[in-house]
Amino acid sequence: MTTKAYALPSDLSPATVTNTTSLLRIIALAFISGAAIASRLFAVINFESIIHEFDPWFNYRATRVLVADGFYEFWNWFDPTAWYPLGRVVGGTVYPGLMATSGVIYKILHALNLPVDIRNICVLLAPGFSSLTAWSTYMFTKELKDESAGLLAAAFIGIVPGYISRSVAGSYDNEAIAIFLLMFTFFNWIKALKTGSAFFGTIAALFYFYMVAAWGGYAFITNMIPLHALALLLMGRYSSRLYVAYSSWYAVGTLASMQVPFVGFQPVRTSEHMAALGVFGLLQIIAFAELVRSHVSSKQFQTLLYASVIGLGFLGTLAIIGLTYKGWIAPWTGRFYSLWDTGYAKKYIPIIASVSEHQPTAWPSFFMDLQFLIFLFPAGVVMCFRELRDEHVFVIIYAIVASYFAGVMVRLMLTLTPVVCVAAAIAFSTVLDTYINPVEPEAPADEAASSEVNSVASDVTNPSTPTPVSKKSKKAVKDSSASSTTGPFGDLVASVTSGKSGKKGERSFGVFGLDTRLVVIFHAIGMLIFFVWHCTWVTSNAYSSPSVVLASSNPDGSQHIIDDFREAYYWLRQNTPETAVVMSWWDYGYQIAGMADRPTLVDNNTWNNTHIATVGKAMSSSEEVAYPILRKHDVDYVLVIFGGLIGYSGDDINKFLWMVRIAQGVWPDEIQEPNYFTRKGEYKIDDEASPTMKNSLMYKMSYYRYAELFGGGQALDRVRGQQVPKTGPTLDYLDEAFTSENWIVRIYEVKKEDLLGRDLKSANAFAQGKKRKRTKPASRRKALL
Amino acid sequence: MYLLPLLSFLLLPLSFVVAKEDPHAELVKLAAANKGVIPLDERVYNLLTSPKRTWSSSVQFTALDPKRRCSPCKEFNPSFNQVAKAWQKVPAEQRDTHFFASLDFDNGMAVFQKLGMQSAPIVHVYPAAEGPRKSPSGKTSPFTYDFSYGFEAGPLAESLSQHTPVPIPYKAPIDWGRWATVAAFGVIFAVTLRFIAPILQSRWTWAAGTVLTILIMTAGHMFTRIRGAPNSGPNGQWIAPGYQNQFGQETQVVAMTYGLLGSAILMLTVVTPYTSSPRRQRAQVYLWSFVIFIMYSVLVSLFRVKNRGYPFKLLL
Amino acid sequence: MFSRWGLLLVLGLASWATAKSSTGDSVLVILEPKLDKDNFSIFFDGLREKGYDLTFRAPKDVEPAVIEYDSPQFSHVILFAPETKSFANDITPQSLVTLLEKKTNLLLVVSSKQTPLTSLAPEFSLVLPPPGTPLLSHFPERDTPATVIPVNVSPNPVVTSKLPPVWFSGIPFSLQNNPLLFPILSAPPESFAADSEGDSGAEAVVQVSEKGGEGLWAGSQMSLVAGFQALGGSRATWVGGVDLFSDEYAQKETKPGVKSGNKEFASAVAAWTFQESLALRIDRVTHHRVNQTEALQAYTTNDEIVFTAHISKFNSETSAWEPFSGIQDMQLEFTMLDPHIRTALPPVPGKAGEYSVTFRAPDRHGVFKFVINHKRKGWTHLESSTMVSLVPPRHDGYPRFLSAAWPYYIGAISTSLGFFIFSALWLAGDDRESKKSKGSKAE
Repeated sequence: MTTKAYALPSDLSPATVTNTTSLLRIIALAFISGAAIASRLFAVINFESIIHEFDPWFNYRATRVLVADGFYEFWNWFDPTAWYPLGRVVGGTVYPGLMATSGVIYKILHALNLPVDIRNICVLLAPGFSSLTAWSTYMFTKELKDESAGLLAAAFIGIVPGYISRSVAGSYDNEAIAIFLLMFTFFNWIKALKTGSAFFGTIAALFYFYMVAAWGGYAFITNMIPLHALALLLMGRYSSRLYVAYSSWYAVGTLASMQVPFVGFQPVRTSEHMAALGVFGLLQIIAFAELVRSHVSSKQFQTLLYASVIGLGFLGTLAIIGLTYKGWIAPWTGRFYSLWDTGYAKKYIPIIASVSEHQPTAWPSFFMDLQFLIFLFPAGVVMCFRELRDEHVFVIIYAIVASYFAGVMVRLMLTLTPVVCVAAAIAFSTVLDTYINPVEPEAPADEAASSEVNSVASDVTNPSTPTPVSKKSKKAVKDSSASSTTGPFGDLVASVTSGKSGKKGERSFGVFGLDTRLVVIFHAIGMLIFFVWHCTWVTSNAYSSPSVVLASSNPDGSQHIIDDFREAYYWLRQNTPETAVVMSWWDYGYQIAGMADRPTLVDNNTWNNTHIATVGKAMSSSEEVAYPILRKHDVDYVLVIFGGLIGYSGDDINKFLWMVRIAQGVWPDEIQEPNYFTRKGEYKIDDEASPTMKNSLMYKMSYYRYAELFGGGQALDRVRGQQVPKTGPTLDYLDEAFTSENWIVRIYEVKKEDLLGRDLKSANAFAQGKKRKRTKPASRRKALL
Repeated sequence: MYLLPLLSFLLLPLSFVVAKEDPHAELVKLAAANKGVIPLDERVYNLLTSPKRTWSSSVQFTALDPKRRCSPCKEFNPSFNQVAKAWQKVPAEQRDTHFFASLDFDNGMAVFQKLGMQSAPIVHVYPAAEGPRKSPSGKTSPFTYDFSYGFEAGPLAESLSQHTPVPIPYKAPIDWGRWATVAAFGVIFAVTLRFIAPILQSRWTWAAGTVLTILIMTAGHMFTRIRGAPNSGPNGQWIAPGYQNQFGQETQVVAMTYGLLGSAILMLTVVTPYTSSPRRQRAQVYLWSFVIFIMYSVLVSLFRVKNRGYPFKLLL
Repeated sequence: MFSRWGLLLVLGLASWATAKSSTGDSVLVILEPKLDKDNFSIFFDGLREKGYDLTFRAPKDVEPAVIEYDSPQFSHVILFAPETKSFANDITPQSLVTLLEKKTNLLLVVSSKQTPLTSLAPEFSLVLPPPGTPLLSHFPERDTPATVIPVNVSPNPVVTSKLPPVWFSGIPFSLQNNPLLFPILSAPPESFAADSEGDSGAEAVVQVSEKGGEGLWAGSQMSLVAGFQALGGSRATWVGGVDLFSDEYAQKETKPGVKSGNKEFASAVAAWTFQESLALRIDRVTHHRVNQTEALQAYTTNDEIVFTAHISKFNSETSAWEPFSGIQDMQLEFTMLDPHIRTALPPVPGKAGEYSVTFRAPDRHGVFKFVINHKRKGWTHLESSTMVSLVPPRHDGYPRFLSAAWPYYIGAISTSLGFFIFSALWLAGDDRESKKSKGSKAE
């Protein structure tokens, strides 16, 4: 006979209770997705419905092509304006999942006679999918604990900044749909593993295929699932369920993934995918061994069998390694390898190292993105250890791997976020379960208490691993006992709480008194509210600016929009011929192609290091050296970003050293990084700047006529905080064509060859009326001798 | 840099007076005498980098004298010597076309001033100015080794090999100490396996490991590793200014905070409910709630130090 | 092209004689007062007969301006002002270069005096001798002063017909190696430049060699008339002395009974300068796949591509553009960064003015250009660049079945067959067996 901390309505029929709970659950999910979508609309409200940043511009452009010309044209799309003059075979070098998705949505809407502009679909795709992510996270967590935890997890992932940062309205990037696919594939995998059904395995494979088609990060799944399977094998948890789930997933998934043109034969040719293949082979061997064992009885034969199994596995690994050395299997790609050897990228692939989102993560970013989840996370992992079912093993592995990756690369925070939400939800809902549960344990005599504690401690330290079957029975027992005392509502609560506790004998446990409950509950609610405030603030302030349009605040606090980029891009679009080739650093390639619609030399899909290095060389060498390069590539306009006037720190002078390094990688004896530093080894742009620096095209283009702006006064670069030389650089081979309002974008026109065949420097001198010194005809004497 | 050949040209006659013999032969002898690294003074330096040199050379400008207090020099010197030593292995006809030399500040201040060097160590590679090994671009001004690759010998040999007739046959020396320890641990592990097996099989060992890893990672350990951030800043400040930056100590502090908060939560859920005496249980509940509240507000205030303009605060 | 040509035709018919030039018939003659117009009547009347309308103007005059509102007012300018020190301020070295940019042709005459033109000459990579050093020659024996020299016209693209020697007096200039510049009339081998008007004897040579350096201003590498084909298409001719065009020299006999070739030479020079002779143009270029006709935006790698260029030449008699098949050494380049294919572009026999070649596109996708770049001394430069992109085969452009892949086909088929048979047997097999096997599976 248990006492209760507070009274529960006992006159409710079980049916009512279940119905109400499910209804509440649905409503809650609806609200969660509402919140998830709404909190991502800051960008649209503060600015406008515009595509953000860089890569999304390409995705948007590709989507327009897809929608306009149909899928086959898109598949065979050769883009002559990108990587001029090499061109880019877009169909074969892109993950088409994102474009296909929004294309389908577009077609459906238009089939329903809803004439929605494709841009708006692209802008709002990410928020839409974020609600789906919330749902799939709910399903995933439900498999781990129960509905209440699932709802919490859904709510967390719905508004957590770590995920919002990549999925605000307008950031139309692969990650927008990838996280949903990630979670849903994992959910199906867990489901398949629990039920051992090939059906769910296949579903998992199909969504894996979708993921492969959508995001390069699919390699994460490709390695997570085998890792999980392997761990289970090592824990001696081989089961036919595992066999069925994994085999169906791997077979179907791999075949399907090879249908994506960009992936092609990688799944059987590259090291990233070898883990999956190896585990697959291992599973077959073990399955066979199990089969034989079940039929054969002889003891030593079994030992022999085990030996051979191990031997085979060993040989298989050796074979894979050997193939890698022979070159039949491509080794890790640099991008992937740099995750392990963290110094690798900077040394050998500066392009990768130069990307800001490939930098390691400092702890404030973790807290910024996850707030209080970050310390619920470990607690949740411990909970997973308490009842160590197969799916919990998965979460644990996921937790370790993802937290390492997130530490190494900022952008991989994205893969960490879901597991944090799940684990945190488990921990948090356990707290709530414990302290909402009204059932009070009967107070024992004090002397009993001490022994109680010890016994509990021992319970905690060596729990068994309950199989689902035994759980069922236990639940049944509990229910019967509980239902006798408390009404059906009590049943529900009891059944909910029964999930988490490690193991329960007859001895009851619980919380005494109402005040303790209230303290903890209020505390928890307070945390949640704080979390919501935090998320809202971070989203609206940090993650909602579309880096195409910048916002600053006037002295009076009102918002001031800086729209130089679009100003310049539209200038290009309206004042230059269709075929005018624009050279800029690769960051701006996609934007130029998307907004100005002009051919570019290099863009954000950095597939050709040499071509990028060529641009880097042109930017970092003197006019005379650069001009032939520009002419050879038919460059008509050169575009540079210069933040010196208004202090926009992401400008080209700050990226300049990367250009130098990348160029140095290809032309080590023409470009050398040390030459761009001052004698003291500082990177300066003022009078002390090294001559190489001052003669470099980038420097000249950035500071051309900058000093004049200050009319005699001392010109100041607000980003570097240095004085610009009074006598600015002069340009002979380029003409200033356009400079945007705040000087952020400066466009220069490349002069044609002189019509008298002079070099442009002397032509300029003549045009400015300078006399050239008399020349003498070359003496023919030498020729005669 | 460009006036260097001129100057050395002026000094050339003098150097010839001093060195009767053919400069190349002298250099070879010097190199052989000093394990491949020619100790330079001003005269030998001008000899080595004479404008009509048919050989190339890698010169280390350093300041090893303790009173110069140049710790990087001391750190870098051994690797330079190792590379030079490795170079001695190649057959003579190639070896004698490229020299390794080291100029200490105290032996050649004049040279340092001529080259306008403010810092050390610096490695210059002087390509051959004449003869068969003259660089096709006709470049005679020295290349400077880029120390962003670090002070290790491996990358140094790698990048110097671009300028030597044959790549430098440098192989990193096998670290016997490391292997020994590894082997020792392996043995110990094998021996004690049967005793520690239960520990290894207990899930809680693994749990502890996992949680520790997670805590360290989420506290930004990798950042400090990759960026080589110092354990604590100058004048003993332990919080690095700026949102995208942190010190080693911060990692520890933050990790501990997280750990404490996490364990408090665990206490509330795992231990407290099993406490069967109401008084103690109530005490625990209040205690842990209080701990959580305090630590949480500490954490937030810490975050506000890093990220000014963060509007929210708890207790402090 | 065609519209412009039509326009020219209309203009020509409107005027009393058809225009002879391919670029218009309005000529501005800037004649310095010192020179008497009648002294050049033969030359000018010759131009008039050809159908040019000449406008005369003194260097100092402001009217008519050469360039008004940034557009040139005349299609050709003759600058007969060898000794003028100062011009009206619309005529400067810079403005003359601007004229060339704007497709105006120039006929420039210099003298041994120092004038603005002397500072312009270096821009055309001409090197003039120091001021006051005219060309002298004591050969052949003759009654004229040493500064008035009969020069043999060596055949060159501009003056094709064999001419008797022409009288010349003025300065030579040496040509630096600029591909756009070529000599029309080069100095006699035994001539030299010296600064003494009425010299006799060798000391002059000595002085000159001291002044100008060893034998630099002597010999046949000097030229007296030089043509310059600017990249814009316009032409400029530099003449060492204005008397070349004078009536006096035109009538003067080089040998008894043989009139000098000055008249013909002058008109030939004018004809070349005013784009009458050696004027070519590319009417149009076409390209298409073999056995097809329409030009594609994008070709597939390894396509057989036919490229055709239609070229015509200006005929000053009929003053019309006529198809021209005379070029034998034209080349076509198929370029991406570097020429991937460089092949001869020969004239098609039987089709006037048509040049065609068929070639196989390289096995490399990218943005390629058909490039014609035909530059010959004296001839109008032929430049054309057409951009096409070369794309890999479409997804359905590959062969469907590969004989090499038969092992895989067989493998796939046999596996699926095996599975089918197995499951058929499994289902058909009697209960006990199936049960047992199922049992073994389950555990």
